[in-house]
Amino acid sequence: MKKFVYAFILSFGFIACAQKEDTSIQDIDKDYEYEVVADHIEIPWGFDFFDDGSIIITEKSGQVFHHKNGETTSIGEIPNVYNRGQGGLLDVKIHPDYPNSPWIYFTQASNVGEEDGGHTALIRAKLHNNQITNIEELYKASPNTTKGVHFGSRLVFDREGYLYMSIGERGARDVNPQDITRDGGKIYRFHDDGSIPTDNPFYNEGDAKKAVYSYGHRNPQGMDLHPETGEVWIHEHGPRGGDEINIIKKGANYGWPVISYGINYDGTEFTDETSKPGMEQPFYYWVPSIAPSGMTFVTSDQYPDLKGGILTGSLKFQYLEYLSVDENGVTKRVKLLDQIGRVRSVKQGKDGFIYVGVEGVGLVKMLPKS
Amino acid sequence: MKFISTILLFCLSVILVNLNSFESSEKYSDLQEKDLKQSVEDGKSVYSDFCMRCHLADGEGVENTYPPLAKSNWLKDKRKASIKSVKFGLSGEITVKGKTYNNRMSAMGLSDQEVADVMNYIMQNFGNEEFDLEQVTKAEVSKLEKD
Repeated sequence: MKKFVYAFILSFGFIACAQKEDTSIQDIDKDYEYEVVADHIEIPWGFDFFDDGSIIITEKSGQVFHHKNGETTSIGEIPNVYNRGQGGLLDVKIHPDYPNSPWIYFTQASNVGEEDGGHTALIRAKLHNNQITNIEELYKASPNTTKGVHFGSRLVFDREGYLYMSIGERGARDVNPQDITRDGGKIYRFHDDGSIPTDNPFYNEGDAKKAVYSYGHRNPQGMDLHPETGEVWIHEHGPRGGDEINIIKKGANYGWPVISYGINYDGTEFTDETSKPGMEQPFYYWVPSIAPSGMTFVTSDQYPDLKGGILTGSLKFQYLEYLSVDENGVTKRVKLLDQIGRVRSVKQGKDGFIYVGVEGVGLVKMLPKS
Repeated sequence: MKFISTILLFCLSVILVNLNSFESSEKYSDLQEKDLKQSVEDGKSVYSDFCMRCHLADGEGVENTYPPLAKSNWLKDKRKASIKSVKFGLSGEITVKGKTYNNRMSAMGLSDQEVADVMNYIMQNFGNEEFDLEQVTKAEVSKLEKD
């Protein structure tokens, strides 16, 4: 494996100077066991936890489920979902001050708008009699396109109550990510009512999309707050080779597609640059790509071997990946729940357990080792 | 009187002709099938947008995970099942070129025309052109129903 990775890197004519450690993924001696918490949810795209321990889950086709006391019930359907390719109902996030602020936030691929196709939208809704109600659209990216790829999207609140949303570049690599006047390939920052903070980095720049907080992204589908620093960490799908972990800084440009460690899926190159002044280097990049989705920092004492690290799903290799990190980068990678299926989402619950959304399996709970 | 009825007849025929041409042009565009070359060309962009990440640029697939489309016996022996898998998705154990796969592919949300185009692209590339398969038409796709 080590040899293969090395040959792979060399064969595309660049040298991975940023990673000095050998971070080839390792198998685990004895894999974690799991129990299925909610089955019959075809693609559990996102989920979040209420204070009472119950869980709200989104299904890509548009259904929202609530799992409480061992029962999973449908609590409504989000309208205008553009369920095509990678598009559909995406992430869900409960307001950090719920139920005092009784809002639940969703991202979706939305077909609202004049053009054919869809683009990512941020909405919020309330629960009444355990049904989704009072749906409000807070942001709708435009223009729509019938491309089936790169909608993002994940949601996270920071410690000051700002809401961050990741959005993919909608398959328009050369048009969207480097242009702050266009939607897509960005991290956006909002107030919890969907209004845009006046201190967003491009708020006062003429035609800029005022929600932009950082740009030059490809398709970020993992996002979490660092438990100690409070920084927003994301990962994003790269091209073939070159999935990245990035730490989000205000106004920063993460370089897609001007700089990248990857190549096109058809094997052709689109850039030979891996760094440039004014563009951020990733905290880590994966070669080969794992197709990461979902991301959580482990802070719980339930899993001593994993505490302090990052967990992320791999859609491509169908496992949950553990990354041990220090201030310089990734020091170790371990395969967990190997061959469980396409891992779409992962989060640490308020009960300290790790929950994982797996396509075709449902929502599962990873059991600590006794 | 004769004059008036002639005018009336004329107006009526104009309306009828217009109605008729309007209807037939609607029907025509609805029934019209693309020629194979155009369909294959359009199918290429559908393939790179929806299929390539897993089945890869030359349809070789990924060992034990994503079945190959290149020289796949499914295209030849399981034409309907192949088209249905693109239209409705597929899950569970299947055998392709003598190897078993147990995975799932969700429905991509493609139109019937896009399903036909991408099938034609796959059938005319990756070595599958040797099978000399008949063009998949939109009409053929639209007739297929979920199992």
